[in-house]
Amino acid sequence: MREYGTVTAVDGIDLSLARGEFLTIFGPNGAGKTSLLALLAGALRPNCGQVWLRGETLDFGEVEWRHRIGVLSHQGFLYGHLSAEENLRFYGQLFGLSDLDDVVNHKLQHLGLQDRAGSLVRDLSHGMKQRLALARALLHDPDIVLLDEPYTGLDPSAAIVLQGVLSDLKDGQRTIVMVTHNLTEGLALATTAAIMNRGRFVWQGKRAEIEGDFGQFYYGVIEGEE
Amino acid sequence: MRNYLKQIRTILWKDLLVEFRTRERLIAMGAFVVLVAILFNYATDWARVSPEDIASGLVWMTIMFAGLLGVGRTFHLEAEDGAFQGILLSPVPKDAIFIAKALANFVFLYIVALLVVGVFIFFFGLEVGGSFGMLTLVIALGVLAFVALGTLFTAVSTGTRMGDTLLPVLIFPLLAPVVIYGTGATSQFLAGRPVTEAEGSIRMLAAFALTAFFLGSWLFRFVVED
Repeated sequence: MREYGTVTAVDGIDLSLARGEFLTIFGPNGAGKTSLLALLAGALRPNCGQVWLRGETLDFGEVEWRHRIGVLSHQGFLYGHLSAEENLRFYGQLFGLSDLDDVVNHKLQHLGLQDRAGSLVRDLSHGMKQRLALARALLHDPDIVLLDEPYTGLDPSAAIVLQGVLSDLKDGQRTIVMVTHNLTEGLALATTAAIMNRGRFVWQGKRAEIEGDFGQFYYGVIEGEE
Repeated sequence: MRNYLKQIRTILWKDLLVEFRTRERLIAMGAFVVLVAILFNYATDWARVSPEDIASGLVWMTIMFAGLLGVGRTFHLEAEDGAFQGILLSPVPKDAIFIAKALANFVFLYIVALLVVGVFIFFFGLEVGGSFGMLTLVIALGVLAFVALGTLFTAVSTGTRMGDTLLPVLIFPLLAPVVIYGTGATSQFLAGRPVTEAEGSIRMLAAFALTAFFLGSWLFRFVVED
């Protein structure tokens, strides 16, 4: 549970995710999706409750578990006055990566940014920044990836590139949690889906169980809650 | 330990590189101290006071105000695109972040503080003579104390609505020992007295600077953790 003053952002969520699972969380603005993701990332302390990571309680005093989590927020966590390569090198050094040259070059290449490696981030388009932010989030090869509205502001071609990269992440070794408003793109990669409203999961199920028009189902669930 | 020092060096280097490219803080602080020295020069009735009597107080107050201009923007570039959150989500201990940020502030403010001494020597016709080395040491200690408190309280004030207004209110009362012992030692040097007469002030300044630095690195985690 997480409260901000009198507002309860996350309330009574009991969630268990296995390796290889891809959970997409849908919900209206203010549903508590970003707060839930921040709790899972260790960026927020819960008021009560615990987050478990591969059988161990997430300890805020320790930092080692951060090696296992990659976060892509709607903010890129990038420095506009550093180049794309310098940004990745900076984060790579913070994560103590030993083969930094190879990792950075591989990530830039994988996300189609090798030609803009020397460009300052402030000169990149939004789509490129988003791809670079994804490269930053995956730089240390985390086994838990948290994605907060990764499609926001992307044009259709950039969204396709991003979808391809996210699809590659579904290698059965990682656990992925994505928060999005985009029902089509959100559902395309999910193995599990949840609808969140007023801090709680109001529906949760396997992707394979979803039949018919999910949009209609989603609005039906939200309206039933209102 | 080796990784800890590497993380400090990485954040410090990034701050220096970003400042070198933007020159945002150094130009603002440098222009401020030159203008203040010129204005003090015209505002002082040299027929009634001698430069040695008032110079040390003016030097230290100029350093304090210039420092506020620079230290107040410690997290300004970090706030762009949520980059500070990116550092907090990486496996870097909070005290390492504080040390790196405080050291970067130290580099900027020490350069400006030496400029302050230079312009006051120029405009006020001061004689420092053989005490210049000790004077730079006293200024280094004062600047260290300032940046320790400044970095900590900027982290406090950055997240608040009052921000820039709050910082001087929080920090100036705590800087009283820096002004008292800093001006005390500086006055002795400007009056051409032997170093032994300033020894007490230097010791007190060193003790205050080290205490502020260690306290700052310990308290920083409580400021930045949610």
